[in-house]
Amino acid sequence: MPEPTDPIAERMRGTTGLGRLLAEADSVWRSRAEAGDADPEVAAWRPFEDAFPTFYQFTNRPPR
Amino acid sequence: MSSRDGSAGGAAATARWTGMRGLAQVPSYVILQPTTLCNLDCAYCYLPFRAADRRMPVEVAAAVAATVNKWAERAPRYSVVWHGGEPLTAGRAGLAALMAPFRGVEHHVQTNATLIDDDWCDFFTAHGVRVGVSIDGPSDLTGQRVDRGGRPAYDRIMRGIAALRRRAIPFAALCVVTEPRPGLAVRLYDFFLELGCYALGINVEEHEGVNTRSTAYPEQSVRAFWAELAGAWRAAPRIELREIEWALRYAGATLAGAADELLPRQHDPVPTIGYDGRVVLLSPELAGFTDPGYGDFASGNVRETPLYEIVAAAAAHPGGWVAEYLAGVEACRTSCPYFGFCGGAHAANRYFEHGRFDGTETDHCRNSKIRLLEGVLDHAGAN
Repeated sequence: MPEPTDPIAERMRGTTGLGRLLAEADSVWRSRAEAGDADPEVAAWRPFEDAFPTFYQFTNRPPR
Repeated sequence: MSSRDGSAGGAAATARWTGMRGLAQVPSYVILQPTTLCNLDCAYCYLPFRAADRRMPVEVAAAVAATVNKWAERAPRYSVVWHGGEPLTAGRAGLAALMAPFRGVEHHVQTNATLIDDDWCDFFTAHGVRVGVSIDGPSDLTGQRVDRGGRPAYDRIMRGIAALRRRAIPFAALCVVTEPRPGLAVRLYDFFLELGCYALGINVEEHEGVNTRSTAYPEQSVRAFWAELAGAWRAAPRIELREIEWALRYAGATLAGAADELLPRQHDPVPTIGYDGRVVLLSPELAGFTDPGYGDFASGNVRETPLYEIVAAAAAHPGGWVAEYLAGVEACRTSCPYFGFCGGAHAANRYFEHGRFDGTETDHCRNSKIRLLEGVLDHAGAN
């Protein structure tokens, strides 16, 4: 049985420039973590709870 | 181009997603409605009773706190969100009385900001309240935010935000966008940079509740909007921009082969406790509505049953519309290649767009999930 394909992943892998954009985003998240009390070694979003009402609709928010 | 709008995914492509199965027994936050009243009458509002001042009695808040305080003891952080109506119309004394039974939680308000003054700023500081404001951009774009006399609320909103800034109270912002299109995103983002919010969420208008306006926007316009917004954030990433960063996070996880780890294992039940104690799970937008087939969408009432029992019973033995919704999530899982990004169409969008909960793709999916991800990839591919 063939491995299932993921058309979205295929599109991402074929998107020139995505790697550069992700590297920039990672740098932003790392800077944010350094500015806050999160682990500066972990590039991350601000804790969900900091802006809760703004984010409540996101059922797939990252786990803690 | 690989777009849900234009091409396909299919069952084989999506069956691997393992998250979002069933309801969790304990929510990570709760939403309370201190009053149904709102002092505004926005054109796109979904709330049916926003002209009526039906207030939550302290006994209801205390009943909620009896459960929530225990949940909060076991969590690093626990959020209690006061959502309306306009929660500040409950007044400082009223809101303080409702907050009083809670221990070990973080309080939040989502407010239209029109009532915020120095006294409210004192209140936010004294009670450690985190503030989210609702504003849709410059005055013309916020023009749908009006009072009952049809007068624009923009100046009053900005006065409230000025008070927050004067008092150095951080705030997040929620922006409703009607008809996303090219040219709009940069203008909006520049506005919010100037406004001084630390986080921003973009809510594309939804066909929901008493708002029955069409949200079937052209695909290319919506994608171009999100692509432009990605570029605006990239040029000045000072605001935590919910949608764009969320899409990037998913893209990064996908390329790393870890996309399936982003979805929670189970749905957060997100209990919304209405002013009268009724508990509606999963979609706050359903609170206050009734349907001949589904009833009032409530899973119970905290005046009769402890909140933890209501949630645990729904999680263990989902019935009625919740069971239908969970079947709908499974349909999304096996049919939509964007499931790993989205986690399934929201309950309220399914109901208000399809009239039931086991359908799949909605306008909200298309405008705020599918075209968002595609627009961000469009931006990346063009730059």
